[in-house]
Amino acid sequence: MKNKILRIKKSLYVLHTKVRSLFGLLDAQDANSMLKHGVFAMHLDIKKVSKNFGGIVALDKCSLEIKEGKIIAIIGPNGSGKSTLFNVISNIVSAGKGKIYFSKEDITGREEHEIAKIGISRTFQEVRLFKNLTIEEHLKVALSDSDYKLIKSFFYRQPNEDDRIKEILEMVGLKKPVSTLSSELSYGQKKLLGLAVAIAKPHSILMLDEPVAGINPELRKEIFRIIKELNNKGESIAIIEHDMNFVMNLAHYIYVLDSGRLIAEGTPREVQKNKRVLEAYLGK
Amino acid sequence: MSFVVQLTINGLIAGSVYALVASGFSLIYSTNRFMHFAHGISVVVASYILYTLFSIAQIPFFLSILPTLFLSALFGFFVYLLVYSPLQSRNASNVVLLIASIGVLILFQNVLQAVYGANVKTINLLETNKGIEIFGASVTHLQLVIIFFSLFLFIFFNFFMRKTRLGKEMRAIADNKELSRIVGINDRLIAGASFVIGSFFAGIAGIFIGLEYNLFPTMGTDLIIKGFTGAVIGGVGSVPGAIIGAYILGLAENYGIAFLPSGFKDAISFVLLFIFLLFKPSGLLGIRRNGE
Amino acid sequence: MILLFVVHVLILISIYILLAVSLNLVLGYTGRVNLGHVALFGIGAYTSALLYINGIPFVIAFLASGFFAGFSGFVLIFATKRLKGDYYALATLGFSFIVYSLLLNLTSITRGPLGIAGIKKPELFGFAITNNFSYLTFSSIIVLISVFIIWRIVSSPFGILLGAMRDDETALKVLGKDTKMLKYKAMGISAFFAGISGSLFAHYISFIDPGTFTISEIILVLTIVIVGGIASTKGSIVASAIIVVIPELLRFLPLPGGIAGPMRQILYSIILIVLLLYKPRGLFGRIELE
Repeated sequence: MKNKILRIKKSLYVLHTKVRSLFGLLDAQDANSMLKHGVFAMHLDIKKVSKNFGGIVALDKCSLEIKEGKIIAIIGPNGSGKSTLFNVISNIVSAGKGKIYFSKEDITGREEHEIAKIGISRTFQEVRLFKNLTIEEHLKVALSDSDYKLIKSFFYRQPNEDDRIKEILEMVGLKKPVSTLSSELSYGQKKLLGLAVAIAKPHSILMLDEPVAGINPELRKEIFRIIKELNNKGESIAIIEHDMNFVMNLAHYIYVLDSGRLIAEGTPREVQKNKRVLEAYLGK
Repeated sequence: MSFVVQLTINGLIAGSVYALVASGFSLIYSTNRFMHFAHGISVVVASYILYTLFSIAQIPFFLSILPTLFLSALFGFFVYLLVYSPLQSRNASNVVLLIASIGVLILFQNVLQAVYGANVKTINLLETNKGIEIFGASVTHLQLVIIFFSLFLFIFFNFFMRKTRLGKEMRAIADNKELSRIVGINDRLIAGASFVIGSFFAGIAGIFIGLEYNLFPTMGTDLIIKGFTGAVIGGVGSVPGAIIGAYILGLAENYGIAFLPSGFKDAISFVLLFIFLLFKPSGLLGIRRNGE
Repeated sequence: MILLFVVHVLILISIYILLAVSLNLVLGYTGRVNLGHVALFGIGAYTSALLYINGIPFVIAFLASGFFAGFSGFVLIFATKRLKGDYYALATLGFSFIVYSLLLNLTSITRGPLGIAGIKKPELFGFAITNNFSYLTFSSIIVLISVFIIWRIVSSPFGILLGAMRDDETALKVLGKDTKMLKYKAMGISAFFAGISGSLFAHYISFIDPGTFTISEIILVLTIVIVGGIASTKGSIVASAIIVVIPELLRFLPLPGGIAGPMRQILYSIILIVLLLYKPRGLFGRIELE
């Protein structure tokens, strides 16, 4: 009897989210809930995406899959189009050709904030923060996935997010006082804040663009540990890196890009042995 | 029929005047990639200098021209030196430069008003009534000179921007300042030069406008709006384009008031400006700024 | 005599405080320079004046001035949604020219260059405001409430969102926020208060014409905002007082007649330029104009 009720509840929930998805009312908290209820498995499916900038081919028919609970790495020499790929997924840059599916839903060309709301959270290679906002304000902005309703803002006290903020900052290891302006942070601290912001934002997948670029070895190890910890908790993560060593022990599956084209894919061990990959990195 | 010809002639005259303003403005914009809105006041300052030298100090006209041009060029250069250049060294954005520019415009507009008064002034060099008839439309000699001079400007700037070394260097720093520095171009010198040359042409504009029209301190705002609109229509990054755009504006305004009450003449240009900024900011021929 | 003068200055200060604080809402918190703010002020002034002259009760005319200005603000945002930086600023300037031209030319409605004279002080809830002293009380109450509302908005989480949008709009979108709606909301509020300050102005000065709402006025309000400091409500209040008072003090100097008017504007523009060059954060601002 209990199981029957549970199943009915689940079907109603699925129906309700399907209707909301029709009206574009789904947000990341829903995506998360749906994952927990087993309504679907998080799946980012990039099919034959191409992108030109003027005459320059940045991406050429790239197809990738990012599956739930896995760490996928996208590697390749500088300028191979990795960041462009992320930017196309976020639709900061529009896809020339190809489609992007998030758990069977076509999100190609949707508005940036809609894609974010569906559950895609990301960092940027060149750390993008709000320079006049404090650490605390950054996390407050990230934590709530809905637009702050103007009137609600005016009359209600906001739910106390301080605990969650502390939790995230501790996890990431950012030890500065929360009232510090982001412009006052060192480069490494900014990277950590960027990571914290991406984690705080409700999501079902994390896309990290060169999370350890320009970082000292100590901090590298820290960030390595954080990513592994997140994945152990079940998080799906996509990482762009051009440091092969960093991703070898981290990723479950690797895609290799060169000059906009996917030249290899496989487990770390397979990719390591791939001649074409070595050529791309070392030059012919 | 002669009505249409008259409208066309009026449009060409207006277009020529706007072209005089737009060309200097566009030269400065295409080199520096920000909007020197105060260019309008460079023109008016020139007119008032001519007025002071010729009408007040009674210096013969042909002797008054050179000091007027020299002082206009100097004026524009000083605005660059004292306002824009320091702001640029602090990495001020184009918005800040624009606001500073509008500030300069308002400042000198009021200085002129304080010095010369708000009353209209005229420079009485030529008799204004006599003219000639072309296809039934009347036009004065001065107006013909203005039209031909503007056409000459078009040809001149086409040549200058493409074939001369200075013109090419100006385009280089417009395209990529960093790269041009590496190649050895002294961008600050070229920028200064663009202000000197652009304001020199503002001086020429000021002389023609002072002869043709009555002078009043707030002319600068009207002129730069028209000149700027023309530049946007034709393509802000291209000097010849700006001149063409100015002519299009002049003609549009004059044909437009054949259908609308004459008070709407300015409204036509504002609406055109707004439409182009919204839908085609690069203009009909122009170059977009990098990255936009 | 002096008392009347002080009351006059205080009323003007209150109106400019509201104008500056409402401009700061968009400028300081979304980072976009709206040079059409004074056009919205003018739309509010004309709306209130025309409605009241035609017998509409003041409260309705007053609110209508806010809503009509707010609506115009929406139109402006809609029209300029794809523009950035100085192109945006110029388009808003173009908007103010269009408004000016409409005010000048739609003579059947606005009486064109003649302007609207004889705008009476309001009568509301049975009270007739007959003298400047009671008008000061009236405008002070309105401005106090309005500034409080705006201050609450910018200190709220919504205000943090606006600040983030100013700093990096794309980064904010990527966090799931609809920045387009934010712009509409911010502009709607800013324009509403610009409109009602127009109403306060019209009913005090009792005469308005298109020439009141020109490019010089926007430079004045912009100067106040920059002097006070971008994104600082307190700064806008203090700066309004300073910037309004200084030229009024000029009246006491023995300046020849034709000079006093331009002198005011010369002062403003110099202050603006000097500030941009040497103290872009103004008195209380933490943030530079960008």
